[in-house]
Amino acid sequence: MENALNKQAVSDDLMILNMGPQHPSTHGVIRFVITGDGEVMQRAVPHVGYLHRGIEKLAEGLPYPSFVPFTDRVDYLAAMFANHGYAMAVERLLGIEVPRRAEYLRVIVSELNRIASHLIGVGAMAMDIGAFTPFLHGIREREKLNDIIEELCGARLTYNYIRVGGVSFDFPQGLDAKIRAFLDTFEPLMEEFDRLITVNEILVKRCANVAVIDAETAKSYGLVGPNLRGSGVDWDLRRDLPYSAYPDFEFNVCLGRGFRGTLGDAYDRFIVRVQEMQESVKIIRQALDGLPEGEIKGKLPRKLKPAKGEAYGAVESARGELGYHVISDGTDKPYRVKIRAGSFNATSIVEHASRGLMIADLVVLIASLDVIAPEIDR
Amino acid sequence: MGSVSTYFENVKNAAVTIFEGMAVTLSWMFRRPITIQYPDRTPEPVKDTLPDRFRGILEVHIPACTACSACARACPIDVILVETQKHPSGKGRLLMRFDIDISKCMYCGLCTEACPTGCLRHTPVFEATGRDIHNLVVHFVDGPVVPYKHKKGRPVPASPPPGDIVQALLKPWDAEYVAWSPGEFVERDAGGGDGEKGAASPGKVEGGATGSGSG
Repeated sequence: MENALNKQAVSDDLMILNMGPQHPSTHGVIRFVITGDGEVMQRAVPHVGYLHRGIEKLAEGLPYPSFVPFTDRVDYLAAMFANHGYAMAVERLLGIEVPRRAEYLRVIVSELNRIASHLIGVGAMAMDIGAFTPFLHGIREREKLNDIIEELCGARLTYNYIRVGGVSFDFPQGLDAKIRAFLDTFEPLMEEFDRLITVNEILVKRCANVAVIDAETAKSYGLVGPNLRGSGVDWDLRRDLPYSAYPDFEFNVCLGRGFRGTLGDAYDRFIVRVQEMQESVKIIRQALDGLPEGEIKGKLPRKLKPAKGEAYGAVESARGELGYHVISDGTDKPYRVKIRAGSFNATSIVEHASRGLMIADLVVLIASLDVIAPEIDR
Repeated sequence: MGSVSTYFENVKNAAVTIFEGMAVTLSWMFRRPITIQYPDRTPEPVKDTLPDRFRGILEVHIPACTACSACARACPIDVILVETQKHPSGKGRLLMRFDIDISKCMYCGLCTEACPTGCLRHTPVFEATGRDIHNLVVHFVDGPVVPYKHKKGRPVPASPPPGDIVQALLKPWDAEYVAWSPGEFVERDAGGGDGEKGAASPGKVEGGATGSGSG
């Protein structure tokens, strides 16, 4: 493929430029081969696979519950969702009921995790564009969230919290109040964050009308999550394919509306993430208010041996639909686990969306898609 | 005329929003900083500020270990090595070896949940380093030990505060690597004791973890 690119480049008098794999704004180890006519790109081809660890294959050699810590490594910025998707798929395979309290706890930690992930997403996007301060504001808030989750499950990044059948720990004494206190301080800080960067004219001018992805293209490339909603497609698994305790809560699905330019530009995707954090705050408040009493883990057999069959569990992760397709052959280890992650599709659209873009705008495109390298490769 | 006014509108807008952002940044100059200088300028040791559930380096309280190997089976990446052997008297078993490779552990906590007596646990210790990676394999048993046998109605041997056992076993960072070799088995009690002595006296705790083979 590279040879073909070179040949074409020579014949068309084009320039080949290599970006990555070690580049600060590729958000991990991804490589882009850019064919450009001066500053204008003809296309940027993503080369993935630098972070491939064979997680799907590892699953085939491990008993069902032992694979949960590995799912943390699928998406290290939002590991709760990765745990949740796998647990849901195995629960469907086994046909077990999860206690209400566990479902509520799952929702609370997932939404906390969504805030943490989006803070990094919007902060890193601002940083790639050249504003360093908002990133530090995002990191500061995320640190508080990490402390909360650390108190709950003992880890700051690789939680291993949502297990097959429930969750591993109940709320310790006083964590409820701590989360509420965080939410109370977070909302004014979010307004401050908006004043700091979201309305900033430089950011708006840099992102608006850049890297436009229209609704049809977004759907045909299989974009999910905030990237899809940024293009104006009204699709959210939490509402449209309800799972866990989400039907109990009131929240809005945030959509891109062409806030300062064309529908589906980089700024829309930025705004969708900012708004989703506010929706997450709403969901957490409702879940804390309605948290039922009871068990946190369902009744499980000592050894999980699902009957022959397959199941699919998908959650609305911070990066969109994160699905696990688990096939059982009747033993205590899965026959096959396939992970469907949003970042992979988001990377695949780069080649299409980068046509005719300036090289400097490629950074905006990648940052606005909020891809995370381990989720692309797994 | 319209384009000229748009131009000045844009300039004004840019100046206002940038100034607003700068004002936010400036206001943070007068607020309490949240950065803590680690490790030498923390108000109290970081170890003491960690929550109870913090998943740090693993440790085993050997006088309460039944040598059931449930932890080794639960570990997804084979970090724990438990070796047992038949007791020379022909009755019961001996715990020959209990190693945890802390350089390989991913701190998922599955082993601690599998442990029936709670002798295996995560500690607030998180600092360990070594010039030779093999030094990060912690050997919790020096020589053959009679495993603990749980009797109904009797409490599991009390363990020292979390972290003490493993902190004592961690080697200095520049220690030379010396291959582990098992110590001699010394009969601790007549009649092929079932570890009851260790169970009865919490004073044995320290010895059980650091040098039960020699004692």
